[in-house]
Amino acid sequence: MTLALENIVKAFKKDVVLDGVSLSVGRGETLVLFGPSGAGKTVLLRLIAGVIEPDAGTITIKGRDMEGVEPEDRGIGMAFQNFALFPHMDATENIAAPLTARNMNKTAITETVGKIARMLKIDHVLHHKPKELSNGQKQRTALARALAGEPDILLLDDPLRNVDAKLRFEMRLELPRLLKDQNATVIYVTQDYKEAMALGDRIAVMNARGIEQTGTPEEIYLTPANIEIARLFGDPVINLLDVSPVQVEGGVCITLSGVPVNIDAGYSDMVGRDCIIGIRPEAIRFVEEGSAEAIPLTIEAETPLNEKTVTLGLTQNGREIMVSRPAGTPGPSQGTGYIVIDANHIHLFDRATGKRIVPVKTQAAVSQGVAP
Amino acid sequence: MTFLLKLSGVDKFYGPVNKGVHAVQNINMDVMKGEIIALLGSSGCGKTSTLRMIAGFEETSRGTITLAGREVQALPPVRRNVAMAFEGYSLYPTVTVGENIAFALKAARLPTAEVEAKVREVTEMLEITDILDRYPTSVSGGQQQRASLARALIRDADLHLLDEPMGQLEPQLRTLLRGRIKHYIKERGLTAILVTHDQTEANALADRIAVMEGGVLQQFATPQTIKEAPANLFTGTFVGEPPMNVFAAEASDRDGQLQLDLGDGLHLTYAADAFAPDVRATLLARKQIMLGVRPYAVHRDTHGARAQVIANQWLGDQSHIAATFAQGTIVLVEHDRADVAVGDAIHVRLAPEDLHVFDKDTGAALSHGAQMA
Repeated sequence: MTLALENIVKAFKKDVVLDGVSLSVGRGETLVLFGPSGAGKTVLLRLIAGVIEPDAGTITIKGRDMEGVEPEDRGIGMAFQNFALFPHMDATENIAAPLTARNMNKTAITETVGKIARMLKIDHVLHHKPKELSNGQKQRTALARALAGEPDILLLDDPLRNVDAKLRFEMRLELPRLLKDQNATVIYVTQDYKEAMALGDRIAVMNARGIEQTGTPEEIYLTPANIEIARLFGDPVINLLDVSPVQVEGGVCITLSGVPVNIDAGYSDMVGRDCIIGIRPEAIRFVEEGSAEAIPLTIEAETPLNEKTVTLGLTQNGREIMVSRPAGTPGPSQGTGYIVIDANHIHLFDRATGKRIVPVKTQAAVSQGVAP
Repeated sequence: MTFLLKLSGVDKFYGPVNKGVHAVQNINMDVMKGEIIALLGSSGCGKTSTLRMIAGFEETSRGTITLAGREVQALPPVRRNVAMAFEGYSLYPTVTVGENIAFALKAARLPTAEVEAKVREVTEMLEITDILDRYPTSVSGGQQQRASLARALIRDADLHLLDEPMGQLEPQLRTLLRGRIKHYIKERGLTAILVTHDQTEANALADRIAVMEGGVLQQFATPQTIKEAPANLFTGTFVGEPPMNVFAAEASDRDGQLQLDLGDGLHLTYAADAFAPDVRATLLARKQIMLGVRPYAVHRDTHGARAQVIANQWLGDQSHIAATFAQGTIVLVEHDRADVAVGDAIHVRLAPEDLHVFDKDTGAALSHGAQMA
């Protein structure tokens, strides 16, 4: 374990920002801290960096307790939101700062700076001072400086935030390779779920209560711990409908627009209870009228979304449902459509607690071939 | 069907005509009644100046603007019968959000019950019913934006002008509200022009998109046409996410077959009749061209050209794969989860019908698919 945080508590006056947060990151791993602003993500980074001290709890790096260890002795590289570039130095000198401090020879510095600058697409502005750089360029310069030092641990606070959409997409594809090449242990803060899923080996989802779930992108997307997390991942957002499961012969079902939909028999404990069903828009398919279990939907609007087509529809009870399908595949754009729900890809949440119900593995579920 | 709004030879100069900054250059545009139009471009492209000239906040330097049968370019904003949601055209700070939204209807002396019903409808749609009794300065930027949008959409006007209407919305609400707003506008037969820098928003909402760059209208067409037949390299790469793949290529005739050399030893070979004769002739005459292919149109095929995977990112309902290809990187979008790992060799096929050919120097489209542009 390269980095371990145990029961970290941090308050500013009476405002408790972190209350017993624990976290561990392995060597070469990229851990994404994901969550809304105000969740304490940046405070956590600053604690690791040693810029501020925790009120309680321990931070260990490579097995060594960091209490009292100065920021510059922690082997950490940082790129924070406020850039913090040296205003009197040009981009090259800023990026080279950690290398110059180590007395690396000039040729090697030029080579390293050039390589990183090309990858981050700032090689054309290397002689500009910070005030001549756009915000996106400043952010990439700060990122380049953090990478140049080849630190053991890299703390990146939303480094692509101010970068335009096209470049952001390119960097999202290229950054993981660069981070792996450096074999750095990375903590990456973002509020963009796509960035979190694309870059993270694991994602820690944080909110005002602390870290609510840690897992691989697959685990977070496919088995979210609660409604809030299910809503944070995916675009369009997951459909959430109030339901109360009923026991039927051979299983459990819910009713949508008067049509019974069979769900995993392992949800039998929830029969008669107040639940919320979560259906991802891509787990719904349009079918022909009269198909088995087809639910009628009044089409309200069709909105294309990055190689997907999103349809907003209303059930007979006036509940909104969003359906997503690959662009170019058939589906109704007006009038009435008919949908079926992929029962393998629904989530059931307890309406009172918001927690996801894990279906019990039953013989019936196994024989139905329904995944947990 | 006849046009509701027509821009003819519209110019905007900041400073003296022909001498100042030529921010909007000779725009010609017809908008039909009931259409949703997006003015799309990056900052400084002239889209907001164009919108402000239509609204009357900005003087039209040259040309005419015809709205609902009358020339309006010399009229003050209040006499143009347009409803607006603009940045800087803010809510009245001294009255509540609810009163702001109802203001125009009350001024038009609509019965109270009708005003209340309309306010309820539009504020429920935009999820701001809980802030109606609050004052604009006490609500968040995103809520102010939605209140401003509600105030515009509730009005009965010839034209609705919306400037970056959803910029500050939380991502979980954005896609849902786009659907609701589109339905609201269409159901009432309103005509709307929205300005945005976000191509996703333009694609989601607009019947037609006006792509602007450097003060010039680059293309004015349906989202489908811009996707399948972009007028030039700019619109081709600006609209679409992930962006279109672009490669420099050299075309040549190899024993009747058409060969595209992408550099780094990579050749794509097509049968003699893969392209229409005029396209083939153009390709061979030009030799040096730019080749574009949309990420969704790149298919894996064992007989395709070799590429090496550098990233495979799963986003829940799409996989984005990047691979080194020719002298650059090629990006693929797949809807199923792609079972490839970094370092794997894959083979990709670029079908003639999915290729866009652009002029190397001007960027103008030469052909789309196997047909001439």
